[in-house]
Parts: sequence; C-alpha cells; structure tokens
Amino acid sequence: MFELLLRPFAAVGNLTLAGLGTMGRAWTLFSGAAASVRNTDIWTPHLVPQMARIGVASVPIALFIATFTGIVMSLQASYTLTGAIPLYFVGTLVGKTMILELGPVLTGLILAGRVGANISAELGTMRVTEQVDALETLAYDPLAYLVVPRVLAGVLMFPIVVLLAISIGILAGWFTALQLLEMSSSEFVKGLRLYFAPWDVWFAAIKSVSFGAVVTGSGCFYGLHTEGGAEGVGASTTRAVVVACMIIVCLDAFWAAVLL
Amino acid sequence: MERKREVMVGFVVVLGLAVAVVGSMWLRDGFNRGQTRLQTAATSVGALVPGALVKFRGVTVGRVESIAVLPSGEAVMVDMRIRPELVIPANAGVLLAPESMFGEWQAEILDRTEFGLPPFLDYPQEGVLPGAALPDFSRLTATFDQIARNLTTISDRVEVAFTEETALNLKGVIDNMSVVSDLLSEIIEQQSQRFETLADGVDESAQELGDAARAARLSFERFDSLLTGAGVEQMFADAGESLSNLRNITGDVGSTMTDLREAAQRVDATFERMETVLTALEDPEGSLGRLLGDPAFAEGALGALNEFRGLLADIQRNPGRYLRFSVFE
Repeated sequence: MFELLLRPFAAVGNLTLAGLGTMGRAWTLFSGAAASVRNTDIWTPHLVPQMARIGVASVPIALFIATFTGIVMSLQASYTLTGAIPLYFVGTLVGKTMILELGPVLTGLILAGRVGANISAELGTMRVTEQVDALETLAYDPLAYLVVPRVLAGVLMFPIVVLLAISIGILAGWFTALQLLEMSSSEFVKGLRLYFAPWDVWFAAIKSVSFGAVVTGSGCFYGLHTEGGAEGVGASTTRAVVVACMIIVCLDAFWAAVLL
Repeated sequence: MERKREVMVGFVVVLGLAVAVVGSMWLRDGFNRGQTRLQTAATSVGALVPGALVKFRGVTVGRVESIAVLPSGEAVMVDMRIRPELVIPANAGVLLAPESMFGEWQAEILDRTEFGLPPFLDYPQEGVLPGAALPDFSRLTATFDQIARNLTTISDRVEVAFTEETALNLKGVIDNMSVVSDLLSEIIEQQSQRFETLADGVDESAQELGDAARAARLSFERFDSLLTGAGVEQMFADAGESLSNLRNITGDVGSTMTDLREAAQRVDATFERMETVLTALEDPEGSLGRLLGDPAFAEGALGALNEFRGLLADIQRNPGRYLRFSVFE
C-alpha cells in the first residue's frame, strides 16, 4: 500500500532525473562540439559533403512541400475571403503566411524527419557498432568529426532551403491565383506587396538557422547516445525526430514572441 | 564527385540567397525604385508603414522609405522615394490616408490649392512638404470600442449601486410618483372644468360679438345707402350755406367783440376815475372826505346845495338878471 502511494513520486523523480541527465549530456555534447570547432582540420573536409547531404539533397522535398502548400494556401484564402474582402488579399495571405510561418516551420518539420532521422540513424549505427569508440581510441575527436560538420551544415543550409521553399510556395500560390481564382497578376502582386517588410525575410532566416541547429543537434545527440542494437537505433531515431519537431514548434512560438 | 558536390552546394546557396535578396527588393520596390528623395512632415501618420505607396493623381510614383518621429516630438517625418521625372506642384502637400477600408495606407502628393482640407503641417524646413493625415476607420472602431468599454463600466457601476436598499427606495419613489400622479390628474380635472366654464363664457361673448358685428354691419349698410343717395348733395349745400352763415356770424361776433373791447376800455377808465373818487373820499383831509366824515360839513354842503338849487331856479325864471347876450360884441 505504501509502495503504491510512493509510485507517483518515484515516477516524477525518475522523469526529473532523466530530464536533468539528458540536459547534462546535451550540455556536455554541445559544449564539447563548440570546443571542437577549433579542430578545423578535422571538420572542414566534411562540411561541404554534409551541406550537400543536408541541404542540397533536401531541396526537392522542401520545394515539393512548399509548392503544394502555396497552392492550398491560395485556394483556401480565396475560399475564406469570399465576400466583402478584396481578392487581392489572397496575395497578402499567401505571402505573409509562407514567409513568416509555413515556409520555415513546414520545411523544418520535413527536414526534421529527413535529416534528423538520417543523422540519428547514422550516428546510432556508428555508436552501436563501436565505430565512435574506435575514433576515440584513435584519439580522433568524434565531435569534430561527426557533430560539428553536421550541425554547421544544418545551420548554413536550412535558411537556404527555407528561402527557396518560400519562393516556390509564393510562386505556386501566384500561379494558382492566376489559373484557378481568376485573379490578375497585378492583383496578386498588390496583395503580396501590401504588408511585405524585409524584416519578414530576416525573421524566416533566423528561425531557419535555429531549426537547422535543433534538427542536426537532436540527430547527433540521440545518435551518439544510442544504446543496444538495431532496436536502439530505431528508438533513438524516433526520439530524435519527435524531440526535434517539438523543439521546432516551441522555438517557432519563442521567435514569434521575441522578434515580432 | 567532390567537385560536383561543391558546385551543387555553391549553386544552391547562391540561388537561395539571390532569391531572397532579389525577391525582397522586388516585393518592396517593384524594381521601380525612385531616385528622388522627398520628405513630408505631419502631426501623425495614421497606419502608414514603410513600403506604402506614394501616389500622384492616382498613379503610383514611389514608396515610403522610412518614418520617424522627430526628436522634438512635434511631428513625424516621412521619407519617400519617387520617380525622378515627376514634377511636384509648387503648392504641393502630402495627404496620408487609407488606401481602402482594409487598413493599408498611402501617401498622396496633391496640389493644396485643389484640395484645401485638412490642415497641413507647414514644417519650417527647406524641402519638406506639408503633410496631413486623415482619420481612418480603425480610429472610429477604436472610439466605438472605448464607448462600449465606458458603457460596460457604467453598467457595472449600476449593478454595484443597485442594492436591495436601492430597490426599496426606488419602490418608495414609484409609490410617491403614483400619489403625485393622482394629484396631478385631480388638478388637471379641475382645470379642465374651469376651462370648460371659460370656454362657455368665451362662446357667449363670441355670440354677442357676432350680434354686435351684425348690427354694425347693418349700420354700415345704412350709412352706405345714405352716402349713395341723392340727398347727400342737398346736405352738402345746406352745410355750405350753414358754414357761410356761421362765417358771417363770426364776423358780427368779431365786430361786437371790438365794441365790447371799447366799452370795456371805457368801463375801465370809468372804474379808474371812480377809484380816484373813492380814494379822494377815503382821504379824511379832502373835501369829500370831510363831507362824508364831518356831519357839519355835510349839512353845510347840503345847505349850499339847496341854495345853489334855488339860484338855478331863479336863473331859469329870470335869466336876464344874471345873463346878457350880445351878438356883435
């Protein structure tokens, strides 16, 4: 009976300790990675390949998602704005929404699945197959070799992918407005320019940088802390994606509150 | 393979940055960025934001570059970029107003001689156009919102103030109002009766006045018929003759009055003489005074008078004894 009463407290205590332990390990990992940045001879050769894997290879899926997001936004905006509100606000809605919210967040979530899972699975496999231990045994800095180029590649390439996605999304919305909504180009562009501020683009870029760091950092963290065999790799991959998505959504709200 | 990967990464990075930069510039200025800088100052800019359109006679000629409150706080300075070929009117002003009902604002360059209102702010600086901002729909809604808030506050206060005691007091007031209402109805009834009496009197007077009016009308009709008859000329002739007689009588009266005036003068002279006589009579030293006052003197005078009367009788009887006539002497 007494044990039954203690069980909830034990659960809370375990969660707290697990959270603190995770935070401590994350701090150790990323502070170590930051310290490893000075080992440029280790990570620089791997930076461009990682940029290609994380950024360039992610462009098609990002553009695909953005294209259909733009189309849906345009159609739904016209459906919503039927009546007293002029139709050129479709351009406003598509532009603002794509730049401020859907472009960065959707791209971030998509890349969390693609890039975060990829990194986590790769590093998790290396961990369970003791390749990481081998690097440490050879006095090769695993953080400089594995973490730094991936995180830097994510930080550098996410904004590029997001900016391309935003552009394609707006173009898709524009095209949809012309073809399906009987709007003219001048109407759509008028709405698009109506509330445009250059700061919006900076806002999207800043968010994308943080999303890139989160997605790649989450993949590296859970990959390098994988335990067990293939099952552990799968679990760490899942955990990396889920945590990255949650942090992206939280960061989205944070940046909106701080920067807008 | 490595080279190809580098090219791909470089291409994507350059493409992404180019899209961001060129897209931002295009969305902001539409590649029609004006080269001429124009400034205006206004007390307020409403909902104007950087990037808003600048129009002249309805045509977009530029965009708002920046908006800043002056350090003194007396005005807001708006920087604009407009097409260089545009000729600004000499008496130009900038009107900041909503472009539509949906919140977007614009800056419109206009000739103030053609558009008198509203009052533009003439900022004392060279090259700064006078500016003015119109109130927009959002201000009206904000005002309505404030009114609604005030009404809410009032209703809350009424709710707080309306206690059971207030209700009882209100009931008492309503009862008093009922009593007052009864009194008022009674007074009104009395007044209405008085008014009815007064109305009867007025009706009677009106009937009398009507009778009088009818009598007057009859008299006037008679008078009218009299005036229109043949006897009028005779009446005027008689009246003329009467006037002539009256004039003669007046002349006679005038002469009579002259005679009377002369008689009065004579009477006046007689009275003066009589006054002299009376004065002499009143004088005790005079002859008449002594005659009246002294019996002996009176008797003497009476005796002398008798003798004088006898003398006169003797003269009448024997005039030759006393008087002698000679024609040639």
